[in-house]
Amino acid sequence: MPQPQLPRRWVHPALLAMVAVIATSGLVYELVTGTLASYVLGDSVTQFSLVIGLYLFAMGIGSYLSKFLEDRLLERFVEIELCLALAGGLSAPLLFKVYTAAAAFRFALYGVVVLVGTLVGLEIPLLIRLLQFSVDLKELVARVLTLDYVGALIASLLFPSLLLPKLGVHQTSLFFGLLNAAVAMLATFLFPLDRAVTIRLRAQCLLIFGVLAAVFGFVTRFVDRAETVYFGAPILYTAQSPYQRVVITRSPRTTRLFLNGNLQFSSDDEQRYHEVLVHPAVAALGRDPRSVLVLGGGDGLAARELLRYPSIERIVLIDLDAAVTDAFRTLPVALELNGGALNDPRVTVRNEDAYKFLEDSRDSFDLAIVDFPDPSNYAVGKLYTDAFYHLLRERLSFRGVAVVQATSPQYARESFWTIVQTLESAGWKTAPLHVYVPSFGDWGFVLAGGEELAAPGALRIEPTKLRWLESSGLPELFRFPRDIGRVEAPVNRLNDQKLVATYAREWGVFTR
Amino acid sequence: MDRRAFLTTVAAGWMVDTILPGKAPIAGRIIGASHGVGHLVRDGGAPTPSGPPDRADVVIVGAGIAGLSAAWRLAPAGLDVRVLELEQFLGGTSTWGDDGAAPHPWGAHYLAAPNPEARAALRLLEQMGVVKGWDAAGRPRFDPRVLCHAPQERIFYRGAWHPGLVPQDELDAHDRAEMERFSRFEDELTERVGADGKPVFQIPLAFSSRDPDTLALDRISMRAWLDREGYTSPFLRWYVRYACLDDFGAEPEEVSAWAALHYFAGRKLKTPELDGSHFLVWPEGNGKLVQALSERARATVTHGALVTGLVAIEGGRVEVRWLDVRDRAPRRTHARAVVVAAPAFVTRRLFPSAAARLPTRTSSPWIVANMHVERPIDPDMAWDSVLYDAAGLGYVDARHQLTELSARTVLTYYRAYGGPDVVGARKGLVVAPWEQIANDVLRDLAPAHPELREQITRMDVCVWGHAMPRPRPGFLGEQPFEPLVLLDERVAWAHADQPGMALFEESQASGVRAAEALAPALGIALGSTWL
Repeated sequence: MPQPQLPRRWVHPALLAMVAVIATSGLVYELVTGTLASYVLGDSVTQFSLVIGLYLFAMGIGSYLSKFLEDRLLERFVEIELCLALAGGLSAPLLFKVYTAAAAFRFALYGVVVLVGTLVGLEIPLLIRLLQFSVDLKELVARVLTLDYVGALIASLLFPSLLLPKLGVHQTSLFFGLLNAAVAMLATFLFPLDRAVTIRLRAQCLLIFGVLAAVFGFVTRFVDRAETVYFGAPILYTAQSPYQRVVITRSPRTTRLFLNGNLQFSSDDEQRYHEVLVHPAVAALGRDPRSVLVLGGGDGLAARELLRYPSIERIVLIDLDAAVTDAFRTLPVALELNGGALNDPRVTVRNEDAYKFLEDSRDSFDLAIVDFPDPSNYAVGKLYTDAFYHLLRERLSFRGVAVVQATSPQYARESFWTIVQTLESAGWKTAPLHVYVPSFGDWGFVLAGGEELAAPGALRIEPTKLRWLESSGLPELFRFPRDIGRVEAPVNRLNDQKLVATYAREWGVFTR
Repeated sequence: MDRRAFLTTVAAGWMVDTILPGKAPIAGRIIGASHGVGHLVRDGGAPTPSGPPDRADVVIVGAGIAGLSAAWRLAPAGLDVRVLELEQFLGGTSTWGDDGAAPHPWGAHYLAAPNPEARAALRLLEQMGVVKGWDAAGRPRFDPRVLCHAPQERIFYRGAWHPGLVPQDELDAHDRAEMERFSRFEDELTERVGADGKPVFQIPLAFSSRDPDTLALDRISMRAWLDREGYTSPFLRWYVRYACLDDFGAEPEEVSAWAALHYFAGRKLKTPELDGSHFLVWPEGNGKLVQALSERARATVTHGALVTGLVAIEGGRVEVRWLDVRDRAPRRTHARAVVVAAPAFVTRRLFPSAAARLPTRTSSPWIVANMHVERPIDPDMAWDSVLYDAAGLGYVDARHQLTELSARTVLTYYRAYGGPDVVGARKGLVVAPWEQIANDVLRDLAPAHPELREQITRMDVCVWGHAMPRPRPGFLGEQPFEPLVLLDERVAWAHADQPGMALFEESQASGVRAAEALAPALGIALGSTWL
């Protein structure tokens, strides 16, 4: 059966444009997967190197495979183009979905890279073969390969300057998927094909175009690119729980957690915060802690610090939001940070209201780590009241110690001392402390305990196990210079919640 | 967690829901007081009972605050106490509902921290663990969880919500000046002591000064007092009207100036803990107090019992005649003593020989609507939301006192019919279909909540024909603060109609007083008074 062929001495300018588009999109997919790999897995040099190598190798596979295609090359070309449109176009949304759903990201990533690379690798040899009767070989190879490399240059210039900042990874990959589908459609007009085949291919084009456009619309609606700009780094994970929006961002160096847009930690300096939250309290306890209550702290970073003490048999972690604790139990980036603390058999995670837990629980703990978000509204403010601190005392064993995250004494001086005052009004003796955390500023905590409570002189852990804190640094933590020293402050009660207004005023953020 | 963001998100979810077709119209029904059956007594349609009588030591007619308080007072004596209650629920106008996202009030929804003189109330609160202890000055210390959490109130004024009941920044100079003047007067009055050395206004009101100058305030209406004192600010007059409707279900022209000023100046307790709010609030409102009383009362309650008459019989007993409303069968119970814990107009019919001595009271009709919300309608909800110049008194949020976050809640709307024509208002409400009342409620709240119909899933309505006595000018009577307690040797009367003011402390004290007054007839010793 004679095959449909392109006419002799026929090189339509549109065909050359197609080559350029194919080349550009091929490189764009490579850059998209490389970027995603470095976001998600970190270590961008390794990731880019692996992705590029694997991609080029897959192109080689494609080129090799091209020799097995013999029949109906025009038709095959359009079909491959459509497969590429689908695989490449969906690569970014698909990988993101896989990442948030499972830990099999690496396999999915390399699978996509090989698939897309193979498809791209098939295209150029096929195109050359299609055009071989139209043009001299030297002319043909020169033109096609020139356009191929020009396309690569265009892609590498556009991707970092325009595509990634303006479109983001999702839309970029989908946009080029759409371009590939458009190229396939164009081909059905240029190529002399059977009427029936033409109709089938055009229908397939439209279908794939529709799928990609739908995903594009969906992604545009639900992935707010403005957020990437707002958070200052690519968003790795988002979840909307009934309580808050959880966002984890990842730049090559730093992982950050945001709740409702408020930074909770930055992997650059979270060790300062969490070491000061946990270790002075253990030291002040004056004995080996066995049972610990953690209120808030769904990221598992405080639990990670606690698990350094072999004496600890049981940690009960109460965090309202399963969206946070689930993320920090499963995401690779989270496990890297908290060392899988939330999956440790000694840790029990309960997603319930901390206030309700204190009211209902009959358990007793040596240590309580109270790490709530700042009192920026009345709902959270309840967790900073004298009534709450009374309940907390009832949950501690004899001579138990609590430590309370107490916002910044630098930015919110009166708020900080209101928390101290409130703890004292509930019958606690306090020892306030603070530390400079570059991401947050000067940050405050309050140790609270019985009459015997004193600022500890030495840690109960070998400093080599920690990253920042050491015994010799302890006195400095408990020293409050004059500009953040104690001020007169009211007791924060459920029926006035003065802290909420003070906090709003001091941070200059009006929540109402 | 940020409550505003949380609520906004959930509200967004709701918007998605509403664009879907097939949204069901809100459901609802009228529940509550059995007007039809109750009026059998009024219309004299009760047959005479026959057959053998039951026996009890004490029969209490009515399981409202006064009746349950009488049973609570009698509990230590270990008597056989029988409570006959017409309705299927306890607590009268302090009753509550248990269905939905949280228990919610069907009537009285808070108790202001009682003065140290309200000893019976404080005794109960101490038993409940709400009073945790006493400070050096003998003032009670309350469980902070029960004091109304912040934010307590907000007002919808000129198209926007403002924190508190007084939108300070929105008021013009005249309004503000008069509010300040009234507030200073209120403070001064709270501290003022009469010529007899007693505070001019006290709770229970029987401990108030008998100084004739102050008692003279009972001869004029609150409206007349405002005119006399030259208060002309529209906001101030609204504010006072709101207070009169809220506490007495009546317009200022229908309320004795003594009673209205008692509301503003009767609360004496001042401690740092009470600075934020001195309201004791539970999700189910005063239903919590009803439960506390009934749990401690050790009495048998028979519901659906319509008492039709009391007759003194031989052997020092009283025959209580009643109708079992389920089978309309007449019954009788012989008791050694009876507490009639019913309004004056009912008591008069049950015990005609005392009719002339009972005070004449006008009672205000109310409607209460419970609106079930599955998704928050407003991120900045306070406990009490008030709409300026609305027909009703606004609504309270049942979940406000719960420390757990939840999207679902129940909002309780109140409206008092405070004009002089109580009979006309009552008749209109009794025949009104649910749709009409529900529409009125939605329309009244529409300025602040135009979408409310779509935001609630259910609205149940209760019509209280006789919600509370109205302290009209002259309500203190010829002999103020000398309550009628014993109707005869074995029959005592207890009700908010006795003082003429529906405050928990007053109703409770009247029940306790009735129980204590019957001790001689019962031949028991109840120890020192709880009053």
